[in-house]
Amino acid sequence: MNFAIEDSAEQSAFRAEVRKFFEQNIPPNLEHSVDPCDMSFEQYQLRRDLGRKLGAKGWLYPSMPKEYGGGDLSAEKVAIIYDELSRIGLALPPYYDAGGRMAAPTILVWGTPEHKQRFLPPICRGEVRTWQLLTEPSAGSDLAGIKTTAIRDGDAYVVNGQKMFVGSSHGADYSWTIVVTDPKGERHKNLSWLMIPMNLPGIAVTPMDLLATGGEGGSGSGVKNAVFFDNVRVPADHLVGGENNGWKVATTHLEVEHGGMGRLADRRVIYDFINLCKERQDGWAITDDPASRAELVDLYIEAEITRLFALRNHWLAHSGQPRTYEGSQYSLRRKLSGLDMSEKMLRIAGPLVLTKDKRWGPLKGTIEYFQRDAITALHPGATTDIQRVIMARRIGIGGREREKAANLR
Amino acid sequence: MDLSLNDTQQLIQDSARDFVRGACNRDALLKLDRDPAAIMSGIWKQMSELGWTGMAIPEQYGGTGNCMTDVAVLFEELGAGPVPGPLFSSAVLCARILLEAAAEDMKKSWLPRIASGERVFALALTEAQYGWSADSVRLKAKSDGKDFLLSGTKVFVHDALFASDILVAARIEGDAGVSLFRVDAQAPGVAIRALDGFITGMSEVTFDMVRVNSGDVVSNAWEALERATLAATPVLCAYKVGACKTVYDLSVNYARERTQFGQIIGRFARVQDHIIHMVNYVDSARWTTYEALWKLDNDMDAAASIHVAKSVSSESYMRACDFAHEVHAGIGVMREYGLTLHTKMSRSLYHCLGAPKVHRKRLESVLGLLAA
Repeated sequence: MNFAIEDSAEQSAFRAEVRKFFEQNIPPNLEHSVDPCDMSFEQYQLRRDLGRKLGAKGWLYPSMPKEYGGGDLSAEKVAIIYDELSRIGLALPPYYDAGGRMAAPTILVWGTPEHKQRFLPPICRGEVRTWQLLTEPSAGSDLAGIKTTAIRDGDAYVVNGQKMFVGSSHGADYSWTIVVTDPKGERHKNLSWLMIPMNLPGIAVTPMDLLATGGEGGSGSGVKNAVFFDNVRVPADHLVGGENNGWKVATTHLEVEHGGMGRLADRRVIYDFINLCKERQDGWAITDDPASRAELVDLYIEAEITRLFALRNHWLAHSGQPRTYEGSQYSLRRKLSGLDMSEKMLRIAGPLVLTKDKRWGPLKGTIEYFQRDAITALHPGATTDIQRVIMARRIGIGGREREKAANLR
Repeated sequence: MDLSLNDTQQLIQDSARDFVRGACNRDALLKLDRDPAAIMSGIWKQMSELGWTGMAIPEQYGGTGNCMTDVAVLFEELGAGPVPGPLFSSAVLCARILLEAAAEDMKKSWLPRIASGERVFALALTEAQYGWSADSVRLKAKSDGKDFLLSGTKVFVHDALFASDILVAARIEGDAGVSLFRVDAQAPGVAIRALDGFITGMSEVTFDMVRVNSGDVVSNAWEALERATLAATPVLCAYKVGACKTVYDLSVNYARERTQFGQIIGRFARVQDHIIHMVNYVDSARWTTYEALWKLDNDMDAAASIHVAKSVSSESYMRACDFAHEVHAGIGVMREYGLTLHTKMSRSLYHCLGAPKVHRKRLESVLGLLAA
């Protein structure tokens, strides 16, 4: 076994190349807002510029095939890019592009050659930003219960309905959207996916006021929105994966969203917090208290397990190993341990962790943000309850045929 | 990055799996549980012949010099039994202690005989004031000419019952450190008494003026002993990983077959929750353990990872058994079903080489949480 992200001279050279690229291409005025909602339009543009530069090298979507603008890179090299980006507080893509992250692998599996040629290169090169639109007011965990309709009318689908808890600040070029194409059809056999250009007439976006964003998309994901569709005519050839075949397509999308890929270099805040507690001021440190030390050790162990689950999923996904429950297992762990760790921090360090006050807020507010984010993160990409349901099915104890993880490539 | 087993490890896994399915099937293990002494006349010989007693011992001392990950792959499969017996105590733990602590002569005398399976070593460290730190070692050794005389009691000694030789941690009078004494288990004054109860493979060992030749003594051995036990620990963790996985598999199969209220119990969310807890325990134990082994085999600083792995795997094995009992209900406590072998083992090995509490405490220092 080898747990090292890099284990060859070639990979070390690649790390040096990546690091040099970032030294030369990260603009000095790029700021890391702690709360993703605080990002300005100018900062967003700096990140999009960086995304296009990464895209030109195939590093924005490094595991996608080269012919569609990806990098076709190995698991190790992908991990190296993630690792180097996380050192400077960024994720991949360096801005919110959840639609691209979920749609690209899904289109790769389900799209026609024409769909792949049209939709994938702009995503992989960073030319477009894409949201994912799934949740609705009456359909959260019960995704198959969505009500937004897309009815065929000549050369277009006419979309009507409302999505919520979606997107980011500063708009999007496309929305990767699940819709009902056969309102009278049987459940699970009435759904389809549309790649909807966001400049079409009849689309309205309203920001939502939420506690936090839930960690989705990394730093700079911005606010979540409600999106309204009022007789929006989407060209019929923007339907991907076949009409009324959307539930099957969703399995691929959800496999990515449920953590099948593993998020490397996540939760650095925990290790930062542990170091913070060692800091000594006026002869006093948090770690002087034996009970706090014991909780810090628990925090460390919890963070290590979550890190290892992510590493395992990264390896499984990028080396084409068979998977069943692992995606949801990681996601469940990340959510529950995140909440648990946030509370441990509160117990250990007291109200210090609750403020982002310029004088008192520790680590530039990242700790305070984690307190909010850990709670918000319980729902995006399926609740903990749904993750358990998925795990049980994948383990094969639900009484039905044992479910397999969707193929990612 | 590659988290798969290599070819050698797959071969080890296959042969260990065959062994456990054959010689260590449930009925065989239930018999050994009632009559532990039969281990030495039966499976021990087979394990020696398979070369397992020499895996953790370098070639120069008659072993095959496998890396710790190889050894752990074997122990993961043995844990699936759970296969009892002194293989870990003798061929991993004590072998490692001799390698780290003993003088060359002593290594040459004993390691080849451990590697062949001819001699069986057990470590007697813990005492009435139970603990795995140097402070807990109180047993006294008096010097008597060139020899030493050992007197006192060790308790909760793993595998002494099967041992030909016991490595005793004790304090030489007038000496600050902890020393190690190799004692013949048959020597006059040594009494080994198995402990009865909800416990596997542990004994009380008393020493009454037991004479030890100075050639069998390593003085001031604590640091080496600690290094050796730390290095052996992830192999014990791997045993727990395999055990945990088996307990989980048993429960998954049972949840698929057992019908109540007209449906298989796996359809009930409460039962599913138990199973999900178990798979989380299995995987937490597995990946913390194998990362520690990888660090150990590559001469990286493995201390923090080993402490994490031991904390996680001990807790995981015990808790997985708890959840297995929730899933199995009455069937689970019938001894003939086999689950209780694991339940008993999960408790018996919980403290071995230090309970989670101990390793968490050591993590505090490794992570630099203790003020200088």
